[in-house]
Amino acid sequence: MTFLNVWAAGFAAVAPVIILLYLLKLKRRPMPVSTLLFWQRILQESRRRAFFQRLRQLFSLLLHLLIFALILGALAHPTLDRQISEGASTVLIVDTRARMQATEPDGQTRFAKARAEAMNVVRQASALRQMAMITVDASARVVTPFTDDEKALRENLAKQSATDAGGDLHSAVELAEELLASRGGARKIIVFTDQVPETKSVDQKVPLDFVTVGTARENLAITRFATRPVLNSPQTSEVLLEVANFGSSSAKTNVELAYDGQLLDVKPLAIEPGAHAVQVFPTVPRPSNNARGWLTARLDMNDALTADNVAYAVLPVDPPKRILLVTKGNWFLEKLFAADQSIAFELITPDSFTPALAAKFDAVVFDNFVPANFDIATAPGNSFFIKQTPFNTSEPTIDQPLISDLDSRHPALRLVNLQNITLLRAAAVTVPKTEGWDWQAPVRSFDHPLMITGERHGGSSRVAALALDIGDSDLPLRVAFPLLISNTLHWLVGEEAALVLSRRAGETLPLAVGESVQTAPQSPWKKDAPAAAKAPTAQTLFQPLANGFYAWQTHDGPRWLAVNTFSEAESDLRIANATPAASIALPTVSLARFAGWPLWQYLAAAALLLFALEWWLFHRRRTE
Amino acid sequence: METPTAPLLFDSSFLTKLEQLYLLSKKLFRGAHRAERRSRQVGSSLEFADYRNYTLGDDLRSIDWNIYGRLDRLFIKLFEQEQDLDISFLLDATASMRWQPEKSDRLSKFDQGRRITASLAYIGLANLDRVNVHYFGSRLEEDLGLCRGKSQFHKVLDFLREAPALEGETRLLASVRTFAQRMKRRGLVFLLSDLFDPHGVEEALALLRYQQFEVHVIHILDPAELRPMATGDLRLIESESGEAYEVTASEALLRRYHAEVDAFLEKTSTFCVEHGIGYAQATTAVPFEELVLRVLRDGRMIQ
Repeated sequence: MTFLNVWAAGFAAVAPVIILLYLLKLKRRPMPVSTLLFWQRILQESRRRAFFQRLRQLFSLLLHLLIFALILGALAHPTLDRQISEGASTVLIVDTRARMQATEPDGQTRFAKARAEAMNVVRQASALRQMAMITVDASARVVTPFTDDEKALRENLAKQSATDAGGDLHSAVELAEELLASRGGARKIIVFTDQVPETKSVDQKVPLDFVTVGTARENLAITRFATRPVLNSPQTSEVLLEVANFGSSSAKTNVELAYDGQLLDVKPLAIEPGAHAVQVFPTVPRPSNNARGWLTARLDMNDALTADNVAYAVLPVDPPKRILLVTKGNWFLEKLFAADQSIAFELITPDSFTPALAAKFDAVVFDNFVPANFDIATAPGNSFFIKQTPFNTSEPTIDQPLISDLDSRHPALRLVNLQNITLLRAAAVTVPKTEGWDWQAPVRSFDHPLMITGERHGGSSRVAALALDIGDSDLPLRVAFPLLISNTLHWLVGEEAALVLSRRAGETLPLAVGESVQTAPQSPWKKDAPAAAKAPTAQTLFQPLANGFYAWQTHDGPRWLAVNTFSEAESDLRIANATPAASIALPTVSLARFAGWPLWQYLAAAALLLFALEWWLFHRRRTE
Repeated sequence: METPTAPLLFDSSFLTKLEQLYLLSKKLFRGAHRAERRSRQVGSSLEFADYRNYTLGDDLRSIDWNIYGRLDRLFIKLFEQEQDLDISFLLDATASMRWQPEKSDRLSKFDQGRRITASLAYIGLANLDRVNVHYFGSRLEEDLGLCRGKSQFHKVLDFLREAPALEGETRLLASVRTFAQRMKRRGLVFLLSDLFDPHGVEEALALLRYQQFEVHVIHILDPAELRPMATGDLRLIESESGEAYEVTASEALLRRYHAEVDAFLEKTSTFCVEHGIGYAQATTAVPFEELVLRVLRDGRMIQ
C-alpha cells in the first residue's frame, strides 16, 4: 500500500478537536413547564438505562472518529502497490529544442502547439494510468516522475518552454525506457515534437508514438560566428560569419555586425536555396580594457525561427602584461615596449633591482645584466635575459655567427623571419641541464645556441635567454625584432592557454573551484539584466539553454561567455508531418482487475454512508 | 410563564344566563336559613312532605279539612322546609396554575379557574346559598367568608381579583384536612385545580368524601401541557419548585409523554366516577362561557 498524498496525515491533528467537542457540555434550550411530573416518570426508565446512554454517546463518538478516519484515508489517496505496478504507465516526452520555437503561420509556436497536444493527454492521467514527463533539448530531463496527479502534471507542463539548445530525441527515448523498465502493466512512450527522427531504434521495447506539430517553413540562420586575433596584428581580430539558407528560394538580407551594442558594419547577403554564405570581417579592433567585448551579428529579416538570426561572440579583453625592464639604457627595447599596448612596463637600472621586486611583475627583462647569485633552480617568476645570460660560458664570443637552425614551431618564433640577419657577435652559451626543467635552443648557429628557452615542469616559471647584443646587429631594424620580443614576452607570461569564450546552447561547461557563471543571459538589447550581486549563479557545472552573453567569474578575472544555437538540424524547418494526438491511443487498463474504482473512492463512499447513518440516528435521538 | 392577571369581567347577558342555572347537589344538607333549596327539615314551603296527628297547640290552618271530612279525624299537613346550602370553592393558586406556554394568547389556568369560580359563585348566590372561596397551595390559605345573596357577588369578585401568588408545591391533602376542620357544616365543594400534586390527589378526594362533602372536581389544564411539541435538547424548569431537568426530546419521547398524561387523566377521572365525585375537564382552549354553559352542565354540576 502506498499513500500518494502523505500530507493528508497532517489533518490527523484535528481528531483531538472532535473528542474535545464531545467533552464540551451541551448547551440546552431553557423551557419553563408547569410540572415535571410526567417527564420524571418517563425518564426514570431512561435513567435506569444510563449505562446504555453513555454507551450510545461513545458509539456516536466512535462513529464520528471513524468517519473522520475514512475521510483522512481518502485524502491520503492510498493505492495498492499491485495497482501501481500493474496500472498503465505512459511517459510523455516534450521536445523543447530550439526548432520548437519556430513560429507557424497562425502565429503560434510549434512548442505551444505541442504543449497543447500534451495537455490533452495529461488530462487522462489517473491512478490506474500514471504518467511521467520528460523534456528534451541538449539533454533529457525528468520533469515529473510517475504520478496520477493530473494537476501536478499540468502545472509542470505549463512551466516548460522551448530552449535555444539543439539535440536529438534518442536520449529522451532511452531515458523513458529506463523509467518504464521497472513498471508492470501496459506501457507507452509518446513524443510531442515537430519532426519524427529518421532513424528509429530497432530494438524498441516499448510502444513509441509521435505527436508531431507544425508545417514546413523556410528559414535563414547564422550557423557560424567566430573571432580570432590577427596574428600579425594582435590588436585586431578577424570575424567569420556563416549564414545558411534553409529554404526553397534564394534569400537576400543584410547582416549587421555590432560591437558592444554599437553598429560596426553592415553587409548585404544573397544566398541561394540550400547554400551557405561565408562573410569575413577582417579588421575588427580588439576591445579596450574597459569594454565588454560583446560582438553580435544579426540578420535583418523576420523568418520562422528568430533565435538563429542573432549570433553572439566575445572579443577577449586582455589586461596588459606587467613587464620590468632592467637596463642601463636600451633605446630599441624602450621604444618597442612603449609601442606595444599589450605591455605595461617599468624601467629600472641594474643597481635598483632586488629579487623581491621581480615578484610583482609577470616577467623581468634583464638587458645585459644578470643579478648576483642568480640561481635558475630557485629563481621565481619569468625572466628574459639579453646579451648577458646565466648560461654564458667562459669561451670566447662568436664572431659574425650565422643562424643555421630556427625552430619556427616555437611560440617565441611564430611568424619571425630571421633570414639575412647580420650579427656582429654572440656570447657563447650552453644549454643547461637543470633537473625539473625543459630546455630548448630554438635558434642556433650550428653547434652554438643563440637563444635558449626553458620551462619548469608544471609551467610555473619560464626563462628565455638571447645571447646577442641587439645593438651589434641589424635585428632592431627588421620586422622580426618586435615579433621576436613580443612573442617571447607573451610566451613567458603563458598567454597561449587562452580560454574558449564561446559555447553552443546545451553544452556543459565545467567550472573550476572558485569559478561561477551567472545563469541569466544578457544581450545588448536586454535592459533588465540582473544585478551581479543578485543574479543566480552556477558553481560547478553550467549548461546554458538560452543564447546570449553570460558573466563568467574566472580565476583570471571576469570574462564573458557567448552562447549560440549554431545547429543546422535546429534551423532546418523544411520537414514537417503533423500528426494530431487524436490518433494516439493511450494504454488501456481493465477496470475489472481492480474491482472498479480506486481505493480512495471506496473510502469516501464509506464515509458518506456512515455520515448518512449518523444523520439518521441523530434525528431519531439514537445518538447524542 | 406567568402573565398579568386577566380582569374578571362578566357582561349582563351572561349573568342573566347564570341566574337561570342551579348548582346541583345529590345530597340533602341541613341549612341554616330558609332558602330555596330542599332540606331534610319540614317547614312552610309549598312542597307537601307528610301528615301527622293533630296535637294541642298546632296551627289550625295546617289541619287538612278534607281528610277530616272523610275520616273524621284531625291530621296536620306537613310541608318541606327549603333551606340554603354551603358551597365552597377550593381554588388552586400555585405557580403551576399561573404557568402559560410561550407565545400563548390563551388564559392561564388560574384565570380560567377564577372565572369559573366567579360564575359558579354567582349561581349559588342567586339561589340564596352560602358561598365561600378558599385558595390553597402547599396549605389552605385564608378564605373569603360565607356570603349570601347576589349583593355579595362584588365581594366575591374583589376576593378573586386580589388572589395571592402562592409559592411552593401543591399539597392538596394537607389543604383538604385544614378545610374539613375549618368547615362547621357540610355542603358542596368545588375543587378547581390542575391536580399536579407530586403526592397524588386520590387520598385528598377520598378524605372530602369521608367528611360527607359532595365534591365536584373541575380539572383545569392547558393544551400545551397535554400535548407539548418542543423537541431537541431542552432544559425544563418547573414553575413551582424551580427544579431543572435536562432532556433531549425526540418524537418517541413525546409520544411516551402523551401516553403518560393520558394515563393520568384516565386514572383521575376513573377515581372520581368510582367515588361519586363529579369530574369535568376544563382546558384553557375552550372559551370560558362555553365551558360554564355546556361542559359543566354536561358534567351534571349545574342545571
